[in-house]
Amino acid sequence: MPRNVSYKNLILLVILVGITLLVMRFTNLGRNQLSPMEATIKDSLSPVQGVLMGVSKNLRNGAESVASLGRLSQENKSLKDKVAELQGQLYLQEELKQENERLKTLLQYQDQYKSNFSFKTATVVGRDPGNWFGIVTLNKGSNHGIAKNMPVVTPLGLIGRIVGVSKNTSQLMLITDPRSGVGAMVQESRIPGVLEGTTSGGGETRLIHVPKDTNLNKGQIIITSGIGGTFPKGIPVGRIVDVSNEPTGLFRTASVVPFADLHRLEEVLIITTIYNPEILPPTEGD
Amino acid sequence: MRSIVFFLLITISLLLQSTVFTFLQVAGIKPDLVLMFVVFNGFLRGSREGAFLGFLAGLAQDIFTGSYIGLNALTKMLAGYLVGLAETRFYKESVIIVSMVTFVVGVVNQVILYLLLFYLNVEISPYYAFGQVIIPSAIYTGLLVPLSYWEFYSSNEKGWLRQREF
Repeated sequence: MPRNVSYKNLILLVILVGITLLVMRFTNLGRNQLSPMEATIKDSLSPVQGVLMGVSKNLRNGAESVASLGRLSQENKSLKDKVAELQGQLYLQEELKQENERLKTLLQYQDQYKSNFSFKTATVVGRDPGNWFGIVTLNKGSNHGIAKNMPVVTPLGLIGRIVGVSKNTSQLMLITDPRSGVGAMVQESRIPGVLEGTTSGGGETRLIHVPKDTNLNKGQIIITSGIGGTFPKGIPVGRIVDVSNEPTGLFRTASVVPFADLHRLEEVLIITTIYNPEILPPTEGD
Repeated sequence: MRSIVFFLLITISLLLQSTVFTFLQVAGIKPDLVLMFVVFNGFLRGSREGAFLGFLAGLAQDIFTGSYIGLNALTKMLAGYLVGLAETRFYKESVIIVSMVTFVVGVVNQVILYLLLFYLNVEISPYYAFGQVIIPSAIYTGLLVPLSYWEFYSSNEKGWLRQREF
């Protein structure tokens, strides 16, 4: 008698685990849209998350103000914001400079960086509660014209793309998410590669599939290459901090730290329209 | 009644993990409050209830996250079951024991999740997985146990989480 009960329980457990494994596979991020239940949950919870995020921010700002003199704290913040903005402009300027140099040999090139996009601003209201994935919830959704696969940036650089949308919220996958891949290249030498995430907690990405005979160095700046069609060409991404060989010996790998601080995102820019998308064929290494 | 209170605890944990604890990250790592409560529950109530509520808590986290429904459900069900096996073997009144159990179960939980990610075609190199997620998050979660175990324990004995006597 106890034996039969035990076997029955074991069979039920196996069935439960099997069903769960199947459901797990079918509910990956590749789905076209969030299911109605998920959309409702996200829409109803986002105000609570927004309030909690606001309270946390105020508490943290309060603590920081107490830790330093109030006036200096405010001045420091505005100066830091200015530095971040100017640094972003500097990287864009460098890209424009290189673009201008290319124009001397490509007379018909007519790209104008800053007039290529239109943006919508969104606020971070939540993050993935776990540590593996880099999913951030934003407070704009389909009601605001947000759609799947729109790129998301900050003044400093690229941070990810939209992978899920409901009426009033959307989900942003950071470039540090292990499922994320961005077509990228080195700004100076135009060496192409794929920028993949490692773990969202680490805040680092890796440039992979780079041929071994290329000149890859610390400090080089990585931008998007436009390959793949999701991310427009030329958005700053990050800087190389380390270079190594892949175990196979055929490719090199670079560790890239994103320009944007992905742990402290508050407001982001969603690129809603790309007027002049460029999708280049793969370029050869120098 | 206790199931409802436990579910409220899980909901609050998820909200805190997705908002407040993004400001309390250490090296980019947040504690796993859901796992902590699953461990408490399993430790005090045994394998069967530990596995059951672990599955429900993980399922809530999966639905909250919106992808890979069942990923956390399976791993936290296993965590609740494993902790429940320790119910009759360990002294419940020692916070150090509970912290160590939480750390060990945290590591096991994350390792199983890591392996399931391979099944889902999400490949992460072991260096990053262990160095940046598994060990740090288990440590962080274990260190938070002393802050909340006694409240949970006393609630379980004579408070909201008390098992009704019928």
